[in-house]
This record gives sequence, structure tokens and C-alpha cells, in this order.
Amino acid sequence: MNPILVLGGGPAGLSAAAELAALGAEALLVEREAYLGGNPKRWHYSLLAPDLRPAEEILGPLLGRVEGSPKVERRLSTTLTKSERLEKGFRVTLKTADTVETREVSAVVLATGFDHFDSRRKFEYGYGRYPDVIDFKELEGMIHDDKVVRPSDGRAPKRIAWILCVGSRDIQVGNPWCCRLGCVVSIKQAVEIRQKHPEIDAWVYYMDIRTYGLWEDLYWKSMQEYGVKFIRGRIGQVTLAEGGAQLLATGEDTILSRPTEVPFDMIVLASGMEPGTGTKEAAGLFGLPVGPEGFLTPRLSDMNPVDSGSPGVYFAGAATGPKAIPDAVTEGMGAALRAFQYARE
Amino acid sequence: MSIVAHLPRRVLSLTEEEAASPPVMELTGRRRATSEERTVAETIYAEFRADPRHREFVLGCLNCGECTTGCPAARFYDFSPREMLQIAQNGDATTLWDAMQEKIWACCQCYTCNMRCRFGNDIAGIISVMRELSVIHGLESTRKVLAPFGRSLTLLMTVGTQVSSDMIQPDFFRDWGPFATGSDKVWDVGTDVMRRAIPSDVLHTTRSSWEVSVQTSLELFRIYEETGVLDMLRGLDPDLTEMLVDIIEERREEFEEARDRFRTELAGMHGPVATFMG
Ligand SMILES: Cc1cc2nc3c(=O)[nH]c(=O)nc-3n(C[C@H](O)[C@H](O)[C@H](O)COP(=O)(O)OP(=O)(O)OC[C@H]3O[C@@H](n4cnc5c(N)ncnc54)[C@H](O)[C@@H]3O)c2cc1C
Ligand code: SF4
Ligand code: SF4
Ligand code: SF4
Repeated sequence: MNPILVLGGGPAGLSAAAELAALGAEALLVEREAYLGGNPKRWHYSLLAPDLRPAEEILGPLLGRVEGSPKVERRLSTTLTKSERLEKGFRVTLKTADTVETREVSAVVLATGFDHFDSRRKFEYGYGRYPDVIDFKELEGMIHDDKVVRPSDGRAPKRIAWILCVGSRDIQVGNPWCCRLGCVVSIKQAVEIRQKHPEIDAWVYYMDIRTYGLWEDLYWKSMQEYGVKFIRGRIGQVTLAEGGAQLLATGEDTILSRPTEVPFDMIVLASGMEPGTGTKEAAGLFGLPVGPEGFLTPRLSDMNPVDSGSPGVYFAGAATGPKAIPDAVTEGMGAALRAFQYARE
Repeated sequence: MSIVAHLPRRVLSLTEEEAASPPVMELTGRRRATSEERTVAETIYAEFRADPRHREFVLGCLNCGECTTGCPAARFYDFSPREMLQIAQNGDATTLWDAMQEKIWACCQCYTCNMRCRFGNDIAGIISVMRELSVIHGLESTRKVLAPFGRSLTLLMTVGTQVSSDMIQPDFFRDWGPFATGSDKVWDVGTDVMRRAIPSDVLHTTRSSWEVSVQTSLELFRIYEETGVLDMLRGLDPDLTEMLVDIIEERREEFEEARDRFRTELAGMHGPVATFMG
């Protein structure tokens, strides 16, 4: 049996590769970056929601299973440039900076993940213009290194605002979907900051709080135990406050039905998840349709969310839509199992 | 800096008469509608919901409040585009009626709300549909709201602009009008230099936009007649409408006289003129 190709080495791809190895199959894990771990690794995620365990504790064992297995062939800094369907499986071309190689694989798991929304596209928030307006993926790294300071002057902020749904639920930027993680991750960040620095005031501006399922607990605790403030209404514009040292967030408090203006030292944007460039590439290479949002579309998303509908091609993780790590990992397992069954048939 | 969490609210105050009359609004607790008012309210509501623009302008709402953020009127009045959209979407006859008394007139139709809306609603548009209905139905409150604007309305409807060059005081508006002499701006470089920044194909408008052409007026009148604007206005302000009709008649006569004069002159110069549009 030829190896099974796993494209993308994020949580979903790692899980698929580890599971294939456990099933006794050979996995060819191809990752375009020079490291494994996907977005959580790239942005140095701090504690992971909902259990607030360090990202290393969750990614570590997964990486260990992949790196420690002779069954998984890891190919970093490598991309796929061609794929050709064979009677069983595919012939694929792998490319690195200085090599090109053709391989035969018996099935494919696409785990190409998501890209962050580029917050500069919501120009009214001043991301890229005001240094103290940051993206929440950047805050992850700051919290991780316990260096939550204003990029403009290196001073500790006294009051921080989170703006949810940046680049999500917004047809102005063409992204009507919900990012699923923005709420829980922002609240988690506010809690982490309040835990370590109770002197920092944390305000979250929201339309709806979507801490679905058991994650609701974190939302409640953030108020009960950590005094995080929630204002229902979205900020419509960020400008410099009088004097220029602070940022002025203007919005509507939709509960009190009044416009509000609050000065902040730092503003954090919960940027959404978009289908990654790698996901679009993969769709092209394997001739798969993408949905109106640009994500890969399982043939039966309710019955079998990991089946592409094209024989021998399976999906896992955020490549099919915004998703949390546990879901990405579970889908990795499911896709591995289906790919294994197909390859063995 | 202190937290300016909530800007001061300016509530439109009740008139003495209103304060003395029994309450009309059921939902908002201001006034209770009389039975005639209620009948009108229900008719308006039915017409409003049946208007094809309603379906086109009101798509849904996430209640994000971003429309209100940029709304100049919301900063000064107890008014918000989000509330207007909600009323358009979910409000009942009484709520709509209530909003149509005063609130819809707080909007200055700047369309900032539309630019902000992430749902793609035409909020300014739906507000203008409400205004249209309040004029068509000649609401007493609308009459009161619009009373001070009779002069602007007359100008707008007869010449198409509120300001004409003879109204400009050069001392106060140095960079305005056809006789602009300069600007008050610190970077004043003189009118001729500034005018050079205007693309040459539209440069003539610095003069022509101040001219009131009879033909333009006549076209406007034609539009009012064809679209029923005059009839709409008649319900609200019959006196003003009669005055407008008089002005229209006068202009038409002026135009016809001028046309006849011109025809005769032309005929004298070149012999008979074949056709003449108008
Ligand atoms: C700021 C933030 C915080 C988050 N925090 C949490 C949290 O606390 N808890 C939680 O459960 N979830 C969290 N998430 C969600 C989590 O990041 C995702 O669930 C997870 O990354 C999805 O894994 P994935 O493997 O599907 O995709 P990704 O992590 O995007 O990995 C995809 C990988 O595929 C590679 N790739 C893409 N295309 C190609 C290609 N063509 N060829 C080769 N390689 C390719 C990419 O380089 C990348 O390494 C957070 C998300 C954000 C935005
Ligand atoms: S998860 Fe929260 S922040 Fe993200 S789009 Fe949904 S509601 Fe907005
Ligand atoms: S059009 Fe009216 S409602 Fe909309 S922002 Fe302007 S003033 Fe406010
Ligand atoms: S901006 Fe649009 S979606 Fe948001 S509150 Fe206003 S009308 Fe509703």
C-alpha cells in the first residue's frame, strides 16, 4: 500500500498522521512551512480555550506522536504543485526550494486550515495605522511571553477593549459566517490578563456572545471572578483620543440605546477565519468545488463531514470552515480512518 | 481623561398642548392614539409593508449599532438608525406611527448609516420611505415639523436649489459662488489657482451651477406632475401647493412667450422654422 498523503501539519493534519501511523499505515505529511503545528504554533498561542491549558501541553503530545513515529515521513517547507488521479490514489509532485519529486500515494487527507482575516480591510478600526490597535493573534504571543505592553511606547495598558467579529458576520467584507472562536478566545485573553494584572481594565464589545456548549462557563466566570465588562454593541470607528496618547472607540451601547465614546490604551481585534490560500490551492489541485465562502465542502456535511465526495480524498480541520482544535483533531482521526479504509480496499 | 461612556441625551420636549392631552403612544407611553389616528396608523403600516422598497431596503439586522456610531443625528437627539431599522423590520402600526411623529425628521439623510451597515440595509432609504408616507397622509406632526421649511421647499421645488448666487454674502463666503474672491483657509492661494485644480471639462459648473434656467424649472414641474409630488404635497400644505402651481404657471407662460419671440426672430432671419421641441 502506497503511503497516504496528509497535506497540512496543523492540529488536524498532525492528528490524521498520528492516527494513520497507529493504524499501521504509512503517512506522508507535507507542510509548506518550516515547522509543524499550524496556526497555533505560528502565532504562539498562549493558553488554549476552554480549559486554559498551555498550547504546548496540547500540541506537544500530538507532535511527539508524529515526530517519534517511523511510519510518518515528514516533509517540511514543501508544497504540492501537481496531482494526477491513478486507478487507485494519486501521483503528486512535491516541490521544495531546490528539489522537485514525484510520489504515488493511495489516498489524500486535506488539512490545509485557515488564514486570519486581514484586519486592515476594516479600515475604520485603524489596524496598521495606529500601533496600539492589534490583532488578537498578536496578543496571544504577548500573553504567552507575559509582555502585554503598548506597541507604541512599551508602557503597560490600563484599559483594553476587544472588538469581536472583525471580518466575520459582515457582508461588507464578503464574510457572512461566524468565526466560532473569536468570542471564546477574546474572553480567555481578557481572563488571562485580569488574572495576572488585575489593575488592567478589560472591556469586550460584542453583538452576540457565542461561547457555545460548555464554553459558556468561561463567559460567566469572566464576569463573576474576573470582572470583565461586556458592552453590547460594536465599535464603528477608532480614532486617536484628545492628546493622541490613547485611542477613542466610538460605538453604540445597544442596550442603553446611546452612542458611546471610550478612550482605551489598547484595542484588540478578534479577526475572523478565512479559507487559507493553501486550501484554495488544494481545491484547485484535486479539482474539488469550494462553497460560496471559499472553504472546502464535504459532500454530506451532516452525515460524513470528512468525505469530499471525490474517491480517496478526505477533509479535516478548519479547511472546511472555522473550527476549534478539539474538532480539528477529531476530524483528523475520522479522515485518517476513512482514508485508511479506502486505501486498503 | 475621564470615561465619556454615554453622551448626553437630548429628549425632544413635549409641547404644552401635548403635555395637556391624554397620553397617545401605547408602546412608548407618550400618548395614546385616538381611534382616527389608529385607523390612519394602520393604513400607513399596511402601505409601508407593501411598498416594494421595504423588501429591498430592510434585509435583517444584527443590532450591532454601527449605523448609530456614525450617525450625526444620534449624537444630538433621542434617535438612532438602528431603532428605525428595527421599527421598519419588526415594529407594529403604533410603533411606526410613533416614530413617524418626530423621530424620522431627526435624520439628515447623510447615508453614513448605510456605509457602516454590515447587513447591507438601506436605512436612510427606509427612513425616507417613512417620511414620504407621513407627507402623503398629511400628518399633523409632519405639517408642524415642515412648517419652518416652506421657503426652502419653495426654492427647491421651483429652481432646484436652496441657495442662489444673490443670497451669498461675499464677505462671509469668500470661496463660494460665481464671484468668489478667495478663501479664508490658511492655505489660500487665490481663486484662480484653486480653480485650476478643477478638471477643465466641469469647470463651467463653477458658473453654470448658479444659473437658474427656466428649462430646468419646467423639467422639474413636469416631474412633479408626472410622479404626483404636487398631489402628495397638497394634502400636507394646500396653500404652499397653490403657490407652487401659480409659480409653475407663470414660468410656463414666460417660457412660451420667450419661445414665440425667438421663433418670430428666427423666422425673420432665416424664413420659417420647421420644428421646435418643447
Ligand atoms: C487567535 C486564535 C486563537 C485560538 N485559540 C484556540 C483555543 O484556545 N482553543 C481551540 O480549541 N482553538 C483555538 N483556535 C482555533 C485553532 O487555531 C484551529 O482550530 C486550528 O488551528 C485548526 O487546525 P487546522 O490543522 O485545521 O488548521 P491550521 O492550524 O490552519 O493548520 C493548517 C496547516 O496547513 C498548512 N498548509 C496549508 N496549505 C498548505 C498546502 N497547500 N501545502 C502544505 N501545507 C499547507 C499550513 O501552513 C498550516 O500549518 C484559535 C484560533 C485563533 C484564530
Ligand atoms: S465567534 Fe464570536 S467573535 Fe467570532 S464571529 Fe462569532 S460571534 Fe463574532
Ligand atoms: S442618513 Fe440619517 S440615520 Fe443615517 S447616519 Fe445620516 S442622519 Fe443618521
Ligand atoms: S449597522 Fe445594520 S446590522 Fe448593524 S444595527 Fe445598524 S441596521 Fe442593524
